[in-house]
Amino acid sequence: MSREISARPRRRLGKAILVSLPFLLLSTMMLMGASAGSQGNTLFLVPFLVTFAFINVLFFMMMYTGKTDRYRAVFFITMAVGFVITFIANLLEVRGSMALSAANMVRGETPFCHMVIPMTLIPAALTRTIIFPGRILGGFADVATMFTLWIGASLALGRGFCSWGCFFGGLEDGFSRIRRKPVLRRIAEKWTYLPYAVLIVVVALAALSLSPTYCEWLCPFKTVTEFAAVTSFKVAVQTAMFVSLFIGLVVVLPVMTKKRTQCGLFCPMGAFQSLTNKVNAFEVRIDREKCNDCMRCVGVCPTYSIDKASVSKGVTRISCTKCGKCVDECPSGAVSYHVKGTPVTGRTGGARMLFLYPGFIFLAVFGSGMIQGALYRLLLLLTTGSMIK
Amino acid sequence: MEPLLLGLSNGTICLAYCAPVLVPFFLGEGAGTRRNIPLLLEFLLGRLIGYLVFAVLAWMLGLLLLPTLVWHQVIFGGAYLLLAILLVVYGFSNLKSRCSWESAPGRLKTLLLRWPAAVPLALGLLTGLNLCPPFLLAMTRAAATPGILHSVRFFVLFFVGTSIYFLPIPLVGAFSSLKSLQVVGRLACGIMGVYYSYLGIVMLHGGVGHL
Repeated sequence: MSREISARPRRRLGKAILVSLPFLLLSTMMLMGASAGSQGNTLFLVPFLVTFAFINVLFFMMMYTGKTDRYRAVFFITMAVGFVITFIANLLEVRGSMALSAANMVRGETPFCHMVIPMTLIPAALTRTIIFPGRILGGFADVATMFTLWIGASLALGRGFCSWGCFFGGLEDGFSRIRRKPVLRRIAEKWTYLPYAVLIVVVALAALSLSPTYCEWLCPFKTVTEFAAVTSFKVAVQTAMFVSLFIGLVVVLPVMTKKRTQCGLFCPMGAFQSLTNKVNAFEVRIDREKCNDCMRCVGVCPTYSIDKASVSKGVTRISCTKCGKCVDECPSGAVSYHVKGTPVTGRTGGARMLFLYPGFIFLAVFGSGMIQGALYRLLLLLTTGSMIK
Repeated sequence: MEPLLLGLSNGTICLAYCAPVLVPFFLGEGAGTRRNIPLLLEFLLGRLIGYLVFAVLAWMLGLLLLPTLVWHQVIFGGAYLLLAILLVVYGFSNLKSRCSWESAPGRLKTLLLRWPAAVPLALGLLTGLNLCPPFLLAMTRAAATPGILHSVRFFVLFFVGTSIYFLPIPLVGAFSSLKSLQVVGRLACGIMGVYYSYLGIVMLHGGVGHL
């Protein structure tokens, strides 16, 4: 009996190593490709090795412990911080400012971001024009590359993109983990529908004005990336709005509620992405036979995607980002990743593994370059006193 | 024929201006396609009244006041603000249909509860008075007509031409079984209200500042 117990962790370790090996190979190829041409330079080598170790240890720990969100969140938050550092440093290096001038827009120098996607579809269908001052092909974050990545992520993850691919989400995820207990517990259910209303409005106004209205008026993340230079009263109002939204939805409310309030209560891209959950093969399900109705999953869900009604039906709401927090926290192991069309009861490890591979690959595709870039900038700061060359 | 053709050729732009208000409103009401048809007619009637009022104004005051930018801004800014108030109250007050007006002050509440058509009518009237390019074009042409009846006729035909494009909108009633869309529609109305309030304030500020 005691030999059987001691053999179990060893077997788990062996299994974790085995399933981590393919990812080790994949990440090596990914990072080697990204660092091509910079071998031998210590400033590139150190970030490369640290990032390589970082992502592989996290993936291995996910496999070994069976916990998902704990390790995903570490990567996700680091990616967001890395993105901000790298992006701002790049902007300062190339343009000398975070502010975007009219000349930059005319030259199509604005990096395309996935938040714009819902607004571009109707104008593209009607006018064959992408209503964004970026490049269709070539250059940093061009439209074609971002669309391709988004389509791939949507097919593989559905709204899981918001917890495994979005490089903004980690900021509020980080702020939501600062306090041990929430100060603000109850948010009326009607506000969980607000992202869909914002989506309808920004899509309609974008079709009307043929301009990316969300980016101009509402995107809170412009505060930590790039924004239009304040040259008129209108731009001043827009600036006040997006800065307020950043402070409110990305910093203050996540700290107070322990939820990702921008994602759960505002983001139109998130609302749009929710629809892709319908065509994605993975979902999070609740085994009603195991569930003891403790509602812990309702309390911990960061995007208000589980409520009492959905628990009683054994499903999550359409807005589920598949972050895995409810799966980790469920005391009776009733919540699990699930492949649509398969039985909810029984072993769930296979479905989790099938989801985690594409999930973590997307996280690594988006995040490894950002983390490497941020480490490189920090090393540059330490060695030269400046983050920019 | 000219105003009808003008309406037909510019109707899609009118639709683009009105749809961000009309679609959320229909979703918010949560009615089926059949019930949406009278709602659309009430909305269009309000829009027609708006056009007629403006047709009279365009002819009476056209040469004196309306061609000046200042008065455009004051009149349309005021209309935008009224529309904004209506949309914000509709969108963000009690989200149960019809009950939104329980919180409205005394007489207004009685009026709205007794005569629910007032809401689509008011929405139609206020969105009709929208500074969209076709409306400005029609206004300029109407101001140049020789008499008030010509001006009214011009706007009526222009209205008929543009209204054709509104006919498919009641089909959003096909989604009325999704109760959550009702909440989404109402919230979207509220957000549109916030947007119009900004437009109204900016326009009024510009107009009043130059009076």
